[in-house]
Amino acid sequence: MILTWLTFLPLVGALALLFTPAGSEKLQRLIALLTTSVVAGLGVVLFVGFDGASADMQQVTSHAWFSLPAKSGTIEVAYRLGVDGISILLVTLTTVLMPLVVLSAQKHIDKRVKEFLFWLLLMETGMLGVFLALDMVLFYVFWELSLIPLYFILGIWGGERRLYATMKFFLYTVAGSLLMMLGVIWLTWQTGEADVRALLNGVGDLDPSTQLWIFLSFAIGFAIKVPVMPFHTWLADAHTEAPTSGSVILAGVLLKMGTYGLLRFGVGMFPAAALEMAPLFMGLGALGIVYGAFLAMAQNDIKRLVACSSVSHLGFVVMGLFALTQAGLRGSVIQMVNHGLSTGLLFLLVGMIYERRHTRDFEQYGGIASVMPVFALFFVLSMLASVGLPGLNGFVGEYLILLGTFEASPLWACVGVAGVIFGAVYLLMCTRKLLFGAVTVEANKGLRDLDAREVGIMVPLVLLCLWIGVRPNQFLDKTAGSIDALVTRIDAARETRTGALELHLPQAPAAPAEAQR
Amino acid sequence: MIHPANLEALTSTDLRGTAPMICVTAGIVLALLAEIAPALRPARGLAFVGSLLAAIAFELRLVADPAGEVFHGAFAASSRSATWGVLFCCAALIAWTYGRRYYKEEAGHVAEHDLLMLCSTLGMMLMAGSRDLITFFVGLELLSVPLYSLAAFRRVRATSVEAGLRYFVLGAFAAGLFLYGSALVYAATGTVSLAGLHDASLGSPLALVGAALIAASLFFKVSVFPFHFWVPDVYQGSPTPVTTFMATGTKAAGFAFLLEVAFVMPPSSAGLIAAIAVVTMALGNLGALVQSDLKRLFAYSAVAHAGTLLLVVAASLAGDPRAAGPVDAALYYMAAYVFTAGGAFGLVALLEADGERFTKLESLRGLGRRRPGISAALSLFMLSLGGFPATGGFLGKYFVFSSTLRADLVWASVIGVLLSVVALGYYLRVILTLWMLPEPEGERAPEVRRLSATLVTGVCAAMVLWLGLFPGWFLERFLN
Repeated sequence: MILTWLTFLPLVGALALLFTPAGSEKLQRLIALLTTSVVAGLGVVLFVGFDGASADMQQVTSHAWFSLPAKSGTIEVAYRLGVDGISILLVTLTTVLMPLVVLSAQKHIDKRVKEFLFWLLLMETGMLGVFLALDMVLFYVFWELSLIPLYFILGIWGGERRLYATMKFFLYTVAGSLLMMLGVIWLTWQTGEADVRALLNGVGDLDPSTQLWIFLSFAIGFAIKVPVMPFHTWLADAHTEAPTSGSVILAGVLLKMGTYGLLRFGVGMFPAAALEMAPLFMGLGALGIVYGAFLAMAQNDIKRLVACSSVSHLGFVVMGLFALTQAGLRGSVIQMVNHGLSTGLLFLLVGMIYERRHTRDFEQYGGIASVMPVFALFFVLSMLASVGLPGLNGFVGEYLILLGTFEASPLWACVGVAGVIFGAVYLLMCTRKLLFGAVTVEANKGLRDLDAREVGIMVPLVLLCLWIGVRPNQFLDKTAGSIDALVTRIDAARETRTGALELHLPQAPAAPAEAQR
Repeated sequence: MIHPANLEALTSTDLRGTAPMICVTAGIVLALLAEIAPALRPARGLAFVGSLLAAIAFELRLVADPAGEVFHGAFAASSRSATWGVLFCCAALIAWTYGRRYYKEEAGHVAEHDLLMLCSTLGMMLMAGSRDLITFFVGLELLSVPLYSLAAFRRVRATSVEAGLRYFVLGAFAAGLFLYGSALVYAATGTVSLAGLHDASLGSPLALVGAALIAASLFFKVSVFPFHFWVPDVYQGSPTPVTTFMATGTKAAGFAFLLEVAFVMPPSSAGLIAAIAVVTMALGNLGALVQSDLKRLFAYSAVAHAGTLLLVVAASLAGDPRAAGPVDAALYYMAAYVFTAGGAFGLVALLEADGERFTKLESLRGLGRRRPGISAALSLFMLSLGGFPATGGFLGKYFVFSSTLRADLVWASVIGVLLSVVALGYYLRVILTLWMLPEPEGERAPEVRRLSATLVTGVCAAMVLWLGLFPGWFLERFLN
């Protein structure tokens, strides 16, 4: 029941917003802040009460929705929500991030506030639904639903090239998700089952080539969302043009929908197919790490740099996932959260300086540390978290991922390590250009430092970064049961693997109509 | 075939099965009477709405408790045909409501307009339930002839007259094709009843040519490649309420029978039909991308939707043609489409009544701020046309692609799905224009407000969401 509240409370808040009179912006912001805070409270309660040792779905809610014919019998599509070790961290991260996003929108969203908050709350419902849905159709509904709010947020409150960026973002992701729809249809039709719990244990009966096709249709959809390397071009545009709050949500949560999908519906549901495709995806992940880092080095625009660093960091997550080892999977799960925190922080900071100077060009900065010391402190902390300094969160994730990948493929692990070094290079370069040196631009001399609201947004995130860095087990333990179960399934698939898994085109039907005539 | 010796008195089953059509006929008679007796004129609207609502009520009873074949097997009041009937009546009601006060110069002739629309609806109901080719043809003409005049109803405008003429010439040609096709099929098999054709052997060249001609004429009615070229001009030129009716009702009626009669085509033609469907989708979607006029844009989108539905026909041919799956998918798709496209075209009609330039996409820039209600509804309809979840359009699309995948038409499904990405390109452009572009300066925004239009828009939007969120209701009530 708590999950239903969690998912639909933001929707209730969004609908409530519609009934507020125009011009009552304070009230509207208050409603949004209250709603997201209550949801965050529920998220924390959920997290604390979650039993990490168990591999089962917890807090399951289920209501019949409708039924469809299947190959044999019927598919019972239902409203099913539940949370396990794979989703718990992401759910909590989403709920905790949202009130901060609402707060961060205080300044830079000054027109059409009601609409903005409406879409923000609707998006929270969509995102939580994606992480919590335990039904293939329901999952797909939430998946697509979460696109629309971002489309509006980017398109109305974005930067100069926002219309181009929204269109690109939207069409890219929709192309992926529609292919995924075919996968969902085929999977449910073949197995007669839409319940994710049953599918996680039961697709082994499908013939291997069908499994591989369905896996691929899912994997492409998710890979576009992540984005895995050849599909990454929409991300930089979307991030750059999005308003700060949009970027934070995009980096913090939306991209995780892709990695979550790969983990739950790719690796989790089709371990045999994942084993087949693992070298490819591990390679794409590793190349993404290096390529993203090179892209980031070449940027003159701070926001674009952070966006490109996302490609690099998510390369780690994908590489770790497809290492298909315990360490790799644990590292990936925790790294999803880490990336949400540290990249979210960086986008918030970039947004704050942009609000003051209205430029994102490095040329226009330098020596900010002497003018805005508090800003500099937070920036350096976030940057170090992103680089993966031991003691901060990024280190834990990257270390586990590299460890896990090394077990599976030393080559890609080495490439990944090189990526860590490049990551340090561009982030340190960025910090130097932004913060240190002499103040060369006159306009920078009078900048005021962060105010209480801005510090208030940063502090919880920085504390979380430290907490994960120092006591990672408190978070990793929550995921242990589910990941161990997943590793067991992967190992079982590895043992029965015949090596004969190939892509066959579906056979032409034996003209059943003709036979009946 | 009806033999004179079998002609007995009407049975109560006959009456029950045709009760909805009798209601519509009563509406037609009342509309005619109102023309003679001026005292009845104020009740004209009531007669229109009342007769259609009564028809819907009777159809709903037939859905739950079908009367089966009536009039010696010429017509079947099955739950399927009754469901189609409900959709036709809804399409007529939607189009009619949006059409109120639409006509300026023709305001004196509104009675004829209502009358023609009722005749057309009656024709659709006859088509959907017909069990032989002759009954179907009667229905087809009853649908088409009034529509020709309706298309030309704004006779002071050249485009409307041209639309009517164009529709008439091509429609007459299609009717001829159909008759010729039925004649050939009859010559090959000796029967025109669908039940008879089911049992007959349809492999002879004569029957094949006949089937091809029948298919071609139906393709014209539902606007499928290569018989879709008339659509943009006719849809744009016709009065918008008539376009609304054409896009929803006529297409539904055409597909209702096309799915019934698809079995006359050989199963091996499934691939060909799927290819035609995909080409139709491509032409419709690519054509719509470059349009700047909403009516024309929706016209191309209507072509694309016809292509999507044709995939269902291909699926039904590839599998067992009598299996319920594909027809159910088509019914769901059309149910969602009637309310979605009905609402979308209808809103254009509403805006156009305020000034003809409001059919231009350009003139709706930034309308979201000024008229949030209309803009939100139009955006919802766009999302449903694009097949977004939580709308009926999504589940319609989901069911259609389910049926094609099951029929192993994987290639057609993949291409079809990718083409619907193209479709989102222009549906999103409408949303983008409404909400993300600045309002034009110094130009008047549409001011029109009308209670009836608000109500019907609300009903359409509610149905779109209802079909998207609670599909069980429709699936259990109508498709089991």
